[in-house]
Amino acid sequence: MMRMGLCLQMIGALLIGLIAAPAAAKGASSVSASNDVAIKLATQVCSSCHGPGGNSVSPTFPKLAGQQEAYLVAQIQAFKSGQRNEQEAHDYMLGMTTLIDDDTAAALGRYYAKQPVPMGIPGNPAEVAAGKKVYEQGVAGSVVACASCHGAHAEGNGIFPRLADQHAAYIVRQLQVIQTNLRNSPVMHGIIKNLKPDDMRDVAAYLQSL
Amino acid sequence: MRAQSIHRSQLFAGFVVLAWLGLINVSHAIPAFARQTGQACVACHVSFPELTPYGRMFKLSGYTIGTRQDLPLALMAQFGVTHVRNNRDDQGQKIVPKTDKPVLSAASVFAGGKLTDNIGGWIQWTFNNLAGNGDVGHSGIDNTDLRIVGSSDNPDSTDLRWLYGLTVNNNPTVQDVWNSTPAFGFPFTTPPNGIGAAAATMLDGQLGQQVAGVGGYVYWKRSVYFELSGYQTADGFFSPLRAGQDIQTPGGVHRLSGVDPYWRLAYNHEWGANSLMLGTYGAMLRLYPDNTMPFTSTDHFTDIAIDAQFQHISQAHTYTFQYTRIHEYQDYRVSFPATLAGAPIGGGPTPANAHDTLITDKLKGTYYFDRKYGATLALVRTHGTPDAGLYAPGSVGGSANGKPDTQGYILELDYLPEQNLRLMLQYYGYGKFNGARSNYDGVGRPASDNNTLFANIWLVY
Repeated sequence: MMRMGLCLQMIGALLIGLIAAPAAAKGASSVSASNDVAIKLATQVCSSCHGPGGNSVSPTFPKLAGQQEAYLVAQIQAFKSGQRNEQEAHDYMLGMTTLIDDDTAAALGRYYAKQPVPMGIPGNPAEVAAGKKVYEQGVAGSVVACASCHGAHAEGNGIFPRLADQHAAYIVRQLQVIQTNLRNSPVMHGIIKNLKPDDMRDVAAYLQSL
Repeated sequence: MRAQSIHRSQLFAGFVVLAWLGLINVSHAIPAFARQTGQACVACHVSFPELTPYGRMFKLSGYTIGTRQDLPLALMAQFGVTHVRNNRDDQGQKIVPKTDKPVLSAASVFAGGKLTDNIGGWIQWTFNNLAGNGDVGHSGIDNTDLRIVGSSDNPDSTDLRWLYGLTVNNNPTVQDVWNSTPAFGFPFTTPPNGIGAAAATMLDGQLGQQVAGVGGYVYWKRSVYFELSGYQTADGFFSPLRAGQDIQTPGGVHRLSGVDPYWRLAYNHEWGANSLMLGTYGAMLRLYPDNTMPFTSTDHFTDIAIDAQFQHISQAHTYTFQYTRIHEYQDYRVSFPATLAGAPIGGGPTPANAHDTLITDKLKGTYYFDRKYGATLALVRTHGTPDAGLYAPGSVGGSANGKPDTQGYILELDYLPEQNLRLMLQYYGYGKFNGARSNYDGVGRPASDNNTLFANIWLVY
């Protein structure tokens, strides 16, 4: 037992001793190095909320798998600059993204864009049908069709995000914060400023089902 | 011995301070971990200190997520008012001090966070303003957890596969990431001048800041967690882990013999906004009857516990549940024969039985709206074998029937106007205290006389 105690003391000494050791400085600038940093970040940090490969389980956190690369990079910059000022952006992402340099942001965009997209989750058929109509045809006289920018299959395009298979609760929340300008997105704000809560619910149910 | 202990404590404290100071340049006035990650408290806490799934990963990752801070310090203070329903004993004497008026109950300073990508931890030093009989302040080490961690990814580089590490800490379960275990279980803070029950299982806080634990853990696919640690009395090299604690009063604290095993196994599952944990933990402890006589034979205590936790965390509505049962088998293989022979060992226990059992049950449910307005109801119970030798009659603190049974509820209302400020109202209602509902102490005191109301302001900065 004394040997065991000695062994544990040595382990403890090692641990506490290492506390004083200076951290190794490191830097990386190549694309390859940025990719490595991004993978490490994605697997060790981002995945805790956004799920393995960007397939989150909690609707508080968006799915990132298969997301448009340009949109992802733009959002990291928006978090950093405070353009996204909704409460969750402040609580979770502001601090995290300030630690991400431009090369790593680009690499994270590449990483999540190439991840396999998840399966959609079926919703209430009536809501899904109504949402499909809003998505493809818009709301007469007030809201243009979502598909015109986000693609026929909600796959997104460049800085227009992929919406297919996204958490319905997350989509509703983003529509709300864009409508109230907590999330600064002037173009989108203009388009959805008259979108009603029921239409938000329906279109979100449709998109989650894709 | 005492001087040597203090000397080592000072050396250790100086060492740690120098280690941190060697890394500092500027300061920022927010709690250390939040400053390190740049995230708000709610990223890691349902409300402090209860952890979210991300908070659990942050802890298991050795507090290394984020950027190392130049001055990784944080402060905590609690100001409160305690009211005990009947704070007079049968002789009319006041039982606990400084009730019914606002007092600073405790203040802590934390040094914590990331040191390298693989090393992190935290050390808490607490000033207890109501130490002893409440007339003097006293400071000492509080909870401490230091880690070295590593990890490996899935082959497709989408997630962690193995997360593993070493921990050195000074309180069994303080290293645990689920709030069903005692160290960070509910109630998260207690009235500094409430009336305490006679019995508690060892893992229910009886060894905190007395022991040093060194252990290893693995977490596989965010699903299965296993830990094996060895706990020993924090002597010698480890003495800073109980710096400032009273170890000289015979029978005052518990003292372990050798290195005693502690284990933990848990299954975790997350879906939607929900998470569930089912687990078990326990320890086999060899205790000197008198902590100042570490040369006698030892009594053996075995604690085996089960626990469970469910959390639903969403934008507006958050609700969580925790449960644990600790079953303790007490083998008084030394104290019982000594007591029987009329020669108890120092200030150690004087059991009337060779073996006793003691069981702790805790069930708690919490609801928070918007992570600001919260309510918690907990049902707590300690019960076990009657033993008149351990639980003797005595005014307020004794038991007339020799039973250790205490049960009741805790109701807490919380308002967090800011994420680092908690305004709380806590009420302890006892249905049974030290064995009975009425006349539990043998001099006429009912359990409900110990009901306690606690209004508290809890600030972390």
